[in-house]
Amino acid sequence: MVCIRKATVDDLLAMQTCNLFCLPENYQMKYYLYHILSWPQLLYVAEDYNGKIVGYVLAKMEEETTECHGHITSLAVLRTHRKLGLATKLMTAAQNAMEQVYGAEYVSLHVRKSNRAAFNLYTETLGYKIHDVEAKYYADGEDAYDMRKQLKGKKHHHHHHHHHGGGCCSADLKADGKPASAETKTE
Amino acid sequence: MGASLPPKEANLFKLIVKSYETKQYKKGLKAADAILKKFPDHGETLSMKGLTLNCMDRKSEAYDLVRLGLKNDLKSHVCWHVYGLLYRSDREYREAIKCYRNALKKLILIILKYFGIYLFCSYAWINMVATLCCSLNPHSFFVCITIGSQDDCKDGMREFKQANVGMGKRKAQMRDLAGFVETRQQLLTLKPNHRMNWIGFAVAQHLNSNGSKAVDILEAYEGTLEDDYPPDNERCEHGEMLLYKVRNLLASAMLVQFLQFVVLFFFAVSSLIRNRIHLTISLLEECGMVERALEELRKKEPKIVDKLAYKEQEVSLLEKLGRFDEGEELYKKLLSMNPDNYRMSIYLHLSLTWYYEGLQRCMGLYSANGQYSPDEIDRLEALYVSLSKQYNRSSAVKRIPLDFLSAEKFRLAAENYIRPFLTKGVPSLFSDLSPLYDHSGKADILEQLVLELEHSIKTTGGYPGRVDKEPPSTLMWTLFYLAQHYDRRGQYDAALRKIDEAIEHTPTVIDLYSVKNVYSPSHRYPLCVSPIVVKGAKMHAPFSENGSGLCHGASKSRILKHAGDPVAAAALADEARCMDLADRYVNSECVKRMLQADQVALAEKTAVLFTKDGEQHNNLHDMQCMWYELASGESYLRQGDLGRALKKFLAVEKHYADITEDQFDFHSYCLRKMTLRTYVEMLKFQDRLHSYSYFRKAAAGAIKCYLKLYDSPSKSSAEEDEEMSKLPPSQKKKLRQKQRKAEARAKKEAEVKEEANATAVSRSGKRPIKPVDLDPHGEKLLQVEDPLAEATKYLKLLQKHSSDSLETHLLSFEVNMRKQKILLALQAVKHMVRLDADNPDTHRCLIKFFHKVGSMLAPVTDAEKLIWGVLEAERPTFTQLQGKSLIEANALFLEKHRDSLTHRAAVAEMISVMEPSKKKEAIKLIEESSNDLISSNGALGPVKRWRLKDCVAVHKLLGTILDNHEAALRWKVRSAEYFPFSAYFEGRCSSAVTNSSYHQMHKLHENGSPNESSLPLSSNGNVEKLEALKDLVIQ
Repeated sequence: MVCIRKATVDDLLAMQTCNLFCLPENYQMKYYLYHILSWPQLLYVAEDYNGKIVGYVLAKMEEETTECHGHITSLAVLRTHRKLGLATKLMTAAQNAMEQVYGAEYVSLHVRKSNRAAFNLYTETLGYKIHDVEAKYYADGEDAYDMRKQLKGKKHHHHHHHHHGGGCCSADLKADGKPASAETKTE
Repeated sequence: MGASLPPKEANLFKLIVKSYETKQYKKGLKAADAILKKFPDHGETLSMKGLTLNCMDRKSEAYDLVRLGLKNDLKSHVCWHVYGLLYRSDREYREAIKCYRNALKKLILIILKYFGIYLFCSYAWINMVATLCCSLNPHSFFVCITIGSQDDCKDGMREFKQANVGMGKRKAQMRDLAGFVETRQQLLTLKPNHRMNWIGFAVAQHLNSNGSKAVDILEAYEGTLEDDYPPDNERCEHGEMLLYKVRNLLASAMLVQFLQFVVLFFFAVSSLIRNRIHLTISLLEECGMVERALEELRKKEPKIVDKLAYKEQEVSLLEKLGRFDEGEELYKKLLSMNPDNYRMSIYLHLSLTWYYEGLQRCMGLYSANGQYSPDEIDRLEALYVSLSKQYNRSSAVKRIPLDFLSAEKFRLAAENYIRPFLTKGVPSLFSDLSPLYDHSGKADILEQLVLELEHSIKTTGGYPGRVDKEPPSTLMWTLFYLAQHYDRRGQYDAALRKIDEAIEHTPTVIDLYSVKNVYSPSHRYPLCVSPIVVKGAKMHAPFSENGSGLCHGASKSRILKHAGDPVAAAALADEARCMDLADRYVNSECVKRMLQADQVALAEKTAVLFTKDGEQHNNLHDMQCMWYELASGESYLRQGDLGRALKKFLAVEKHYADITEDQFDFHSYCLRKMTLRTYVEMLKFQDRLHSYSYFRKAAAGAIKCYLKLYDSPSKSSAEEDEEMSKLPPSQKKKLRQKQRKAEARAKKEAEVKEEANATAVSRSGKRPIKPVDLDPHGEKLLQVEDPLAEATKYLKLLQKHSSDSLETHLLSFEVNMRKQKILLALQAVKHMVRLDADNPDTHRCLIKFFHKVGSMLAPVTDAEKLIWGVLEAERPTFTQLQGKSLIEANALFLEKHRDSLTHRAAVAEMISVMEPSKKKEAIKLIEESSNDLISSNGALGPVKRWRLKDCVAVHKLLGTILDNHEAALRWKVRSAEYFPFSAYFEGRCSSAVTNSSYHQMHKLHENGSPNESSLPLSSNGNVEKLEALKDLVIQ
């Protein structure tokens, strides 16, 4: 049995370890801190019965565009903990929070064209649709599907960044959740 | 700024500042040089040039210029400010604060000048004003300022504020809390209509343990708001603030509870407390605060957007108030929202609480140690039966009862729990159940249970008592479970038999993706090549091309590692890796195994398949991949390569320093964003950052390196030459050539990178690429003058943050004994006794300490006499030593722990320390130990008590301290019987025996064969031999 719960700051180190162990796109601790200190409701972890973090979702709100929407920065589940529906549960929890707390109208994410398994999860289980194709989104030149899912968010609840906003941390922090690490060269 | 310059140069100066802010450093540098051409001594320009160079990573030049600038213009606030920035960038916060204070003083001076009072001011007076400004009451001063309307004065004000804000941040960083409160209050007074300043002041108060003050401030702030506040666009932030306030109320209440406890304690102990009545009254008064918190929370409900957080807060308050019925209802509501969310974080998030646990607490059915009376168990059972009807899809309701049920009821519940998971093929089933193996008797029940399932499926094709046939995969997953089960019980032989059976059974036709990738988060396809070919290696049963095969491979690899054959484990993990090159998880598993087998170079090549970053060879360090750095460090340490080991351990330490630094930008960011609850959580997280396990391991590793370095200082070059002369000429030549080449390469790389740095900075204006590592192998790290002083640095952090770890004090003992700090060593021993008096290491240190003390010469100096006196007074406080000689104490310890191998070994070691003539006796003591059965219930043979790593430690003890090679050899033969897969003992099933090429290589490892001492221990050497293999795998 694995528990799905909101992440706390204390989970961030374990989330980073989990990310580094199974995903090629990695981030420094500051980026995790940036997420939890900006949108504390949008980070969820899957914790097994021994208290180990075996999966997480890292999400954010896009605040610069006119339409208020959420974005999934990173999602991972350890290989040893598959077949439990954790990815679906984590995604659902983050999506619900986006809708409820921030009134997000839709949620977006990027996925490698070749990643059929993830693509299937997003389209078949979670109801995402291809919105666009971003050519050469990944550093190794692979294209990404820009996928979106409409939420039932209140139309007029428009979350707006506070007027003192801007200059949040540093340029690095504001960057999109694009992989911070480049791609493995195949040679 | 730049006031003393003519217009043209003044404009240029403004350009420098602008360029700095926009990170166009090259442009700024040009402007600075233009000014300096005409005014070579201009202080502010020199400073700004230095600051710009600092950003271009030319540190030493930067400091020189900034200091020169300051020297030329001591009165300039700019110069001081810049100096502060420089210190800040090097994390020298105390120095930075000093500079900021000076900058403030100078600014005030400028402002005062405008009011014509400059001439009347003495420096002392200005100093006072400045201090005043930095402390409580800046009113009068700012009243003066606001009268002035000159532009420059406004400028001054702006800069003053900036400097002040910077100081506030720095104070938050340094946890100078009283100072932080002052600064925040001052900022609030400066600009009361600025929300951020109110909130900042409140947070400062909160951090300064003044929760109720914080609440007052927040209320005062709310009072300034209009009724219809918040506007739509700020609802979220405002809600956050309200939740934060409630937490504050709670925090104060918790403090009260603590105080209450203290008071009760004092009442019991003494009646001397004078103010007790007063205290009790004020406490009772404050106790109402939880109530108030709840009231406040409910009043503000419509304004709080985060409904989940609201409910979680509400339920924890209800519980604190003892309103359990309401709590029960709310917990059930929360469960229905998410029956898998059995945990939630409450305030002081150190304590994570479960929904289910909370529910149990509210119903009076909770015990922290999991012990329940039979009656309680019945009620719990009933509770979970009813819950499982409600939330029939939640596995939590089915799993939790396994913790409190026992015997036949446990068996029944476990079987119902396990069956569907085996049918579904859930790989994590074993790890989910593994905590039950610590409950007495449950492991045996599980073993019999699963063996019965296995038998039934094999004979009837279905579960016992069922007509339905199971899919073929069920048997495979059952075998998989059993393999992990036997691995956990130390029955590696049985475990390997089961996993091999599973691998043989697995059908090969299952489509790769349908089974394997339920969800694979990301994919990439590095080219890997042909499957591994290891000549002479025992080829294991072929893996099927599907996910279960991978699981089995990984699992078998893990079993082999546990059984003591790290090299075979790594080879297997590599096979598994090659089956899915796009999956980083199997790659990481493989890297981990390679590092455990001390194949560091191979491990890096494998890891790099996923971590190349543009030009960069690998970004593991940049991405703070600490598990990898730690595992490499530990491997290098095992191999005796202290330089490289230190390099890795200190890299981890650096990550922690960086994370501490990370919080800097968030101090003001969070006040803007209003994420105050998380902000305070983050500050607390940062305060205990160094107690996290990766740091603990890295610090311990570094200390061990320094200890080894102290015990055997690195060879001088003369010695190295001598060593080289022992090599055959051909090898010598090769080695020399290689060294020369490596040096040249490093030099060239450094030059190229330097150039690249310069151009990259000017082009992108971004942070420059980090400078080339001039000490890639950590050789410079070995040249420390005083290794023990270095070790002490890290030891202090461990003592501060991990004082409950035995290892901390064990290391402290080792360091301080070498430093001859008798009292500090004594302190370490006392801590160890406090933590675990029965631990063999504790015993060792205790005896060693007093043995050493007993052999010291009688005291001469006053200090020595003082120490002597302390020791005299302290010795009787150890109950183990009361009225006994050390030899008697040692014998008594043996009596107490007669059946434990590790304890016997400790006693034997102490005999040899105290009575070197009795070594034979000590050896006999060890050899007479017997490997008893833990459980004879096991269906597949008995489970024995001894662990491999203890036997290895004993073997080393026999060979080194007890110095008896025949005994060591006898021990090796005996251990090889118990651990046939152990490569260390060259067990009959280990790769060290079954595979000649492994055998050869293995001998080179320090933790490989125990006979390696005659072979050269060059770590490079053995890694390179392994590299010959690697070429077959990765290209």
